[in-house]
Amino acid sequence: MKWTYFRKEAVFLLSSGIILLFIAGGVLQPDLLDAAASTIHSGILNNFSWLYLISAFFFLIFVISLALSKYGTIRLGYDAERPQYTFFGWVAMLFAAGMGIGLLFWGVSEPLVHFLTPPPFLEPLSPESAAFAMRYAFFHWGIHPWAIYTVVSLSIAYFSFRRGMPALISSCFYPVLGDRIYGIPGKIVDVLAVFATVFGTATSLGFGALQIHAGFSHLYGISSAIQVTIGIIVIATALFMASAILGVEKGVQVLSKFNILLAILLLTFILLLGSTPYILNIFSSTLGGYINNVIDLSLQAYPFAGYQWSRDWTVFYWAWWISWSPFVGLFIARISRGRTIREFVLTVLTVPTLFTFIWFSIFGGSALNLQLNKGVDLASVAGEDVSLALFVFFEHYPFAGVLSLIAILLLSIFFVTSADSATVVLGSLTTGGSLAVPLYKKVFWALSLSAVAIVLLMTGGLDALQKMAITAAFPFMIVMIILCYTLWIGLSQEESRDDESE
Amino acid sequence: MFEKTLIPVAHGETSEELRKIGRILKSLGSESICLFHVSDADSFFNGSDMSWLLLLKEAIEELGLSVDVRTGSDHIASSIAEAALREGVDEIYLKAKRHWQLRTILLGSVSRDLLRLADTPVFVHKIRPLLPKEKEGTITRDDLIILYATDFDKASNRPLPYVMQFQGSWCHILHVRGRRADPRSEKRKSSRVKEKLTSLEEELRPYYGRVTSEERIGNPANEVLFVSDQIHADVIVLGRSRPAFLSSPMGDTAEQIVTGSKASIFLVP
Repeated sequence: MKWTYFRKEAVFLLSSGIILLFIAGGVLQPDLLDAAASTIHSGILNNFSWLYLISAFFFLIFVISLALSKYGTIRLGYDAERPQYTFFGWVAMLFAAGMGIGLLFWGVSEPLVHFLTPPPFLEPLSPESAAFAMRYAFFHWGIHPWAIYTVVSLSIAYFSFRRGMPALISSCFYPVLGDRIYGIPGKIVDVLAVFATVFGTATSLGFGALQIHAGFSHLYGISSAIQVTIGIIVIATALFMASAILGVEKGVQVLSKFNILLAILLLTFILLLGSTPYILNIFSSTLGGYINNVIDLSLQAYPFAGYQWSRDWTVFYWAWWISWSPFVGLFIARISRGRTIREFVLTVLTVPTLFTFIWFSIFGGSALNLQLNKGVDLASVAGEDVSLALFVFFEHYPFAGVLSLIAILLLSIFFVTSADSATVVLGSLTTGGSLAVPLYKKVFWALSLSAVAIVLLMTGGLDALQKMAITAAFPFMIVMIILCYTLWIGLSQEESRDDESE
Repeated sequence: MFEKTLIPVAHGETSEELRKIGRILKSLGSESICLFHVSDADSFFNGSDMSWLLLLKEAIEELGLSVDVRTGSDHIASSIAEAALREGVDEIYLKAKRHWQLRTILLGSVSRDLLRLADTPVFVHKIRPLLPKEKEGTITRDDLIILYATDFDKASNRPLPYVMQFQGSWCHILHVRGRRADPRSEKRKSSRVKEKLTSLEEELRPYYGRVTSEERIGNPANEVLFVSDQIHADVIVLGRSRPAFLSSPMGDTAEQIVTGSKASIFLVP
């Protein structure tokens, strides 16, 4: 009886055990945990940072090849199925998945930080650094993250909607593992997906909490002590846990749509009240530079100059996207049923990417405009505290207080909706792919996400969040490489499926 | 089907060895042998006395087989392949050398080229079945264990008449394939394969004392070699599909099996 329960709940028991150990380690021996995480993190970076670059580029080439190949016409579902959502509804939900805390957190800060501290071969605060900063912001938030998400979502969508398997990462391993997906190897794959999701989401929640705190401190002079950040996480946890437990899926959907509208409103406001032609010029030239250099950017580790820069930024971002990919991948897969591979890949790669380019051009471009042309030293602010730059940036626009409050509201809603979705996804991943997740699992994952975020913030703040994202993503990156292979096997058998069904 | 066999010969071939080969070919049904020698324009022996060929001919004729001697020039493997077609032989016989640890090298570039180029079946004789010793009679078909590797495509169906012709004590049919992408397709595929294997077993039963079959999932070359070792197969019979342009440098399945096997190979193009 106990053995049957263990087998059935192996993924939950194993992953929750590891997470609990991590939390206990963080509470009881924070220094030891930090030292261990640092050792693993530097080991991965010293030996495998190149693998992150090559993998992300490979994922991009792979999904584009699939879209343009004869497999592009294969439907993610049965042949007669048609998409569940209208094209615009679907694209809006893609935005919701792709846009989030990260865009608000880094929209202003990232170009400024690159501008202030570029690799050693560029002079800081120079026009070259500005162009470099914008190009890298486009690159880190451009087509590659979406290619990473696409690998996971395409695999899940194909194996669950077309091949009728549970929506689990382990299901995609059937072509190589066979019935062993129900045994230990399959459970390990799912545990790795859970592990990546927990740390990827906790990193985002940590960013969100830091920035909400920075916003309140800036607006109302609230203490900047870590306890306040923890308090913000606790309140947000209560909200998203309630939302996940009550299953207010519709409410979350409405909230997500409201958030998108609010984000677009904020974007339009900054565009119209800022130097619009300057922003549009930045958009156009950065897009040109990005397209022209995308291969070089993809594989560039700067081994002879600024080696560390690429590790600190590009590798971190790729790891962060990879650790987010089980969660976002599952979400995108679920909303994409009935679409063809070509339609799916080309839309997912282009539409949200274009939106993030616009976002960075408006926020990052306006910030650089203030810095370069209006004498506002935003770069130093971002250099000292990346979470504060957005609010200092708003000070140079009318209704700064309202804008800051809108940003805090956006961050809070993103926090709640992302954490709510992550809780449901984690519950589903640990319940054999079912959407009927038991209450105790929802509560456990909601509390775990927050506890991990708090532990990471307490042990090393932003640095610890980044380290754990990179560490947790590493095993899942290997999983993703195998996913490409299994997806290819599945697709290559499409032609003989009629023969099998005779 | 194995009536006429072409044996490529080179300087240094001994009458004694040829007699052994003749004996085994005779036991498999050969009645006529074509000894074929390609003169290499750059060879030290080129233009030398060819009487050694006549000695080999006499050695085989002693076994009661009729023998033709032919010579050719130019690219060795192509010459052999063309001669096999011209002479209308049923198979080309190649003997792998006995330094097994180095067999990839010792199979020789000529043999490997021939395996790719020949439009006639090629019998690569390896460790098993053992060549009969000088005074110990011939191989009896009652001892032969044949492994027939098939994936039911055109290339692997072509060897079927040859499998029937080999006869012997035991024929083991092996089907190797990749796993299907989901359990339902896998189950369907597996049941279809089992049906086909059963019907193939029935087809081959009149020719063998025992016919069995098995389905395996994995790399075809590795699985064939594994099963061949398990059942101590004497001959592996398999079809050869034209390798894709890029597959040859990496080694296609047939070439990997020929290189790695201890059993003899009967490769049908």
